Amino acid sequence: MVVVEVGFVDFEITWRADVFSGAPQESSAASFGTLGINFRARKARSEAEWYDEMNKFNCAIPQ
Amino acid sequence: MQFTQTNNFNFELDKLREAIQDEYEVVATKPGQGFHFHTGRPLAYILGYEDAWLDNIPEQSIASFAGTGNPFSLGRIYPGEHVLDIGSGAGMDSMIAAHMVGPEGSIIGIDMTSAMLAKARSAAAEANIENVEFREGYAEALPVADDSIDVIISNGVLNLMPDKLSALQEMARVLKPNGRLQIGDILVQKEVPDSAKGKIDLWTG
Repeated sequence: MVVVEVGFVDFEITWRADVFSGAPQESSAASFGTLGINFRARKARSEAEWYDEMNKFNCAIPQ
Repeated sequence: MQFTQTNNFNFELDKLREAIQDEYEVVATKPGQGFHFHTGRPLAYILGYEDAWLDNIPEQSIASFAGTGNPFSLGRIYPGEHVLDIGSGAGMDSMIAAHMVGPEGSIIGIDMTSAMLAKARSAAAEANIENVEFREGYAEALPVADDSIDVIISNGVLNLMPDKLSALQEMARVLKPNGRLQIGDILVQKEVPDSAKGKIDLWTG
């Protein structure tokens, strides 16, 4: 959500994997379930595009 | 470079930066020592880097590679584009991008660790790569002009910043409208207790 708040759209995590196992030294990362990830996003072309993206996060209460 | 800043954790930002710089100075100068993360060419293969990307990249740069993902798997980087590499380390990703953008494009690599900057500059000179420039700086205060960058790449760096909001705001500032983020980082699946967030050794290891 914070990625969108600062002006980005189309945020997407495309890949995740355990990239720490087998490393020469033991990592504290394992105890927190840490994974390597790839993510992408795009800076909005315009304020209108960004507002549209932000509106996707609005939770309307049904009447 | 001093940049004291408060945060929500029980340490000074400068202390965390010093600890990270100490860790990555060793990655730069003694890459074969063995760390709590994989490094070098074996890591590049784990992350899906293609052999062709590593051609013409000096081994000194590959040896100190310490990413957690693969920014180049997220979309093509086109000839003529201007790319910013945040936390460029020994310069491997910057030099891969330099080949992709060609002579009409350019790369700016930003890093806060002087030993990494020295290694990246040395490697770029060794490979005769002229369209890449390495600058000292912090992700939370990028030494880069507004709306000047087509693509930001970064690899295993955002997780080391306590103030991720500022870093993301800076990325938005320097990207052109419609510019892309292509980032490798880490995801923590279990909630990290506040007591652990204040321990610098957990940030670096």
